[in-house]
Amino acid sequence: MIELIGLRKEYDDLVAVHDLTLTIPQGEIFGLIGPNGAGKTTTIRMACGLLAPTIGKALVNNIDVAHEPEKAQRSIGYLSDFFAVYEDLKVWEYLDYFAHAYKVAESEIPGRVTEVIAQVSLEVKRDSMIRGLSRGMKQRLGIARAIIHQPKVLLLDEPASGLDPKARLELRNLLRSLRDQGSTILISSHILTELEGFCTSIGIMEKGQMVRSGRIDEVTAAANLARDIRLTWLGDNTDSLRAALSGNPQISALQLNGLSGTFQFTGSDDDLAALLAKLVSSGVRVKSFSEIKQTVEDLYMKLSKHEVM
Amino acid sequence: MLKLWRNPEFVRHLRAELRPARVITVAFVVFFLCALIGLACWAAQQEVLDNALHSAQQFDGKWTTYAERLQRDNARLTWLVLAKWLLGLQGGLLTFWSLFSCAQSVTGERDRKTWDFQRTTSLTPAELLLGKLLGEPVLGYFAAICVLPVALVAGFLGGLTVRSLAAAYLSILATALFLGLGGLWISTLLETRSRGVGLIGALVFYGFVLGTFGFATSWFPGIAAFSPLTGLHSIFEMRFENGRDVTAALFGHEIPWLLMTLLLCGSFGAWFVLMLVRNLKRDYEDIRLLSRWQAVGCAAFLNFVFYALLRPAHAVGDAGSDINSRVLATFMVCINGLILFAIGLATLTPHERLKIWWRQRAAGAAGLFSEDGLPWPWLALSALVAYGLMVWGLVAWRLSLDFHVRSLGMAAVQLLIVLVFITRDVLFIQWCTLTRLRQPIVKGVLFLSLYYGAAGVFTAIAATSSENAARIVMSLLTPIGVFDPSMEWPHVPASIYGGLAVQIGLIAVVIVMIANRLARPALTPITSGD
Repeated sequence: MIELIGLRKEYDDLVAVHDLTLTIPQGEIFGLIGPNGAGKTTTIRMACGLLAPTIGKALVNNIDVAHEPEKAQRSIGYLSDFFAVYEDLKVWEYLDYFAHAYKVAESEIPGRVTEVIAQVSLEVKRDSMIRGLSRGMKQRLGIARAIIHQPKVLLLDEPASGLDPKARLELRNLLRSLRDQGSTILISSHILTELEGFCTSIGIMEKGQMVRSGRIDEVTAAANLARDIRLTWLGDNTDSLRAALSGNPQISALQLNGLSGTFQFTGSDDDLAALLAKLVSSGVRVKSFSEIKQTVEDLYMKLSKHEVM
Repeated sequence: MLKLWRNPEFVRHLRAELRPARVITVAFVVFFLCALIGLACWAAQQEVLDNALHSAQQFDGKWTTYAERLQRDNARLTWLVLAKWLLGLQGGLLTFWSLFSCAQSVTGERDRKTWDFQRTTSLTPAELLLGKLLGEPVLGYFAAICVLPVALVAGFLGGLTVRSLAAAYLSILATALFLGLGGLWISTLLETRSRGVGLIGALVFYGFVLGTFGFATSWFPGIAAFSPLTGLHSIFEMRFENGRDVTAALFGHEIPWLLMTLLLCGSFGAWFVLMLVRNLKRDYEDIRLLSRWQAVGCAAFLNFVFYALLRPAHAVGDAGSDINSRVLATFMVCINGLILFAIGLATLTPHERLKIWWRQRAAGAAGLFSEDGLPWPWLALSALVAYGLMVWGLVAWRLSLDFHVRSLGMAAVQLLIVLVFITRDVLFIQWCTLTRLRQPIVKGVLFLSLYYGAAGVFTAIAATSSENAARIVMSLLTPIGVFDPSMEWPHVPASIYGGLAVQIGLIAVVIVMIANRLARPALTPITSGD
């Protein structure tokens, strides 16, 4: 579990992160979204003990990262957007080094190294020098490093930058499996499609502030955002449909074309059900009536003003 | 703490540096070099013998005896020369390698961007420190170990005792570890882009440590124990001055050089360890070498070392210099100027922390002596401690120093003047850290150098008018005026007090400048989305 309490970071005259309070329960994959310079990296660096906050504290599994960094870091896996590795070591030596550095039990290290190498598909390179690996392989080795000690919390700062599509897919699958094992994951990205489909919660950061955060459906509801509705019908009912919908104050952006249409609806699920019943009772032969699922990108575009520091 | 052979950082270096192919190559090169040096020593010794035999044939008499003795001892002398060369080689290799590899350690990690990953592991700063200290120069240690059997055999065959060899190796090891700690300390303080500066700094540090050999004939001969040359001087049959040997002294009692080396490298190394353990895993911007109390302790320790290592009888007897309580007090005030400046730099408060302190102080929640406050109250406290130690030191050495109470009065004025100038300078550098200057501390020091250069020029200009005018300008702008040897306590010229008043005024101005910087509101982001 990750808890950020009133976290603030000032650089000279600039507030990089502004009194951020956030709780990420165990087993969540929390996507931190925002443009470059929004304060995502600073937040993650404070959460893993690399930066001391100006005010506030970061708790990882109820351990204050600033006060007991080594203890907290045993349960943190950190990955940044650069995959720097020790070129003069072999792949297994690199992972063995970090397993020891994270104080994994001596007896478990050989098995854990083999397991992690398999997880990132580097079995054939186990005894190769790192300097001979391709960029993609080094990136996978970086991911292996971050999970070698089976961290309960993963802090990933733009982890997919520079990864090829296959490696991105593998990263997603790996993160999903880690979540299923109970890991809590905080992942930042400014590429929204990267987070699509596997984040359970999101937080939108801009100019050091959390604009909105929570589970994706909660964020939508809390923001009272208009939901996109698509409907199709049979027969020529366009005029009666228009008459039934256009007078409703909860409806906007109405577009009716032939036998299908879309509109935005700002109301509860009950209101939506009532609207459908009204349409049916008014004689419209409704064939389908569904909410268009919002993507993370849609949410971001609606909530953000795209302001960069 | 992890055992050394299981310390991951040490094992990493061991694996990376000592791959089988490299081990074989290094061992081969080392043995080849040993053989070459051995042959060269044999050739040189043979030439000495040939010359002696030739002279004996020509001149007979004493030359014959000498040539016979040389012939008899030829094998032993050849081994001895080889042992000296190999010991010197090991000493140079270990100390130089240790310093320079450690000086590139943290900056290298920052450069490769692997530093953050090390910092997020569960390794404690002490474990990281140990791993780096012994891991970074591991190849140098391996090369030295390869030379060791040859050097030992040569030493024993050359007639060196186990004790002298053990003392030489212990001394080399202590100095190498001390220099390694110094290198790590330099490396921690430098950002990636300052790597070249770090190497220059390391070179200067090495030169200084090597050069401390020259202190053997000073009032503080023990300082020479820092130099790796001192550890080898008995083996190399080096003499410090006028063909006479000198021993180290602690509180006036002679002690072996090895013990002095261990004491100095151990105690000064402990300060390096303290600073490194405090800061190794901190973010660069958050580095603070010492806490406030530690800084005061460091000032006290440095003062104490000088009084402990003082050996006035030696200086008076051999160098002929007249050391009395006034000279020593003046010297210690000058030394304390340097100490206070270093302490001031070590206790500069990072911008962010100072700002928090400023807000808390405005709210009445933080005092002047706070850990995050301005450094000046702690400079004053350090000066007070230094003065207390000066009183103790002068009284303790009163029998050897022609002690006069007047020396203490004059020293108090001198220390006050020095403290005020140093406070002004440190506060100015603190102000520089609050501006957007790149490398503000370096630039601050450069600006101060410019100021003192300008003060020197103004003094020279005033000197064209009269000597008194020059003295007044010097007293107003620099602390040098107070060191005028013609001045006698309590008759201190008004210009000294005038300078004091001017500098206190300047301190007030700098504090106002700092306050203005700290009072600037932070750029608050505009809320979006609500």
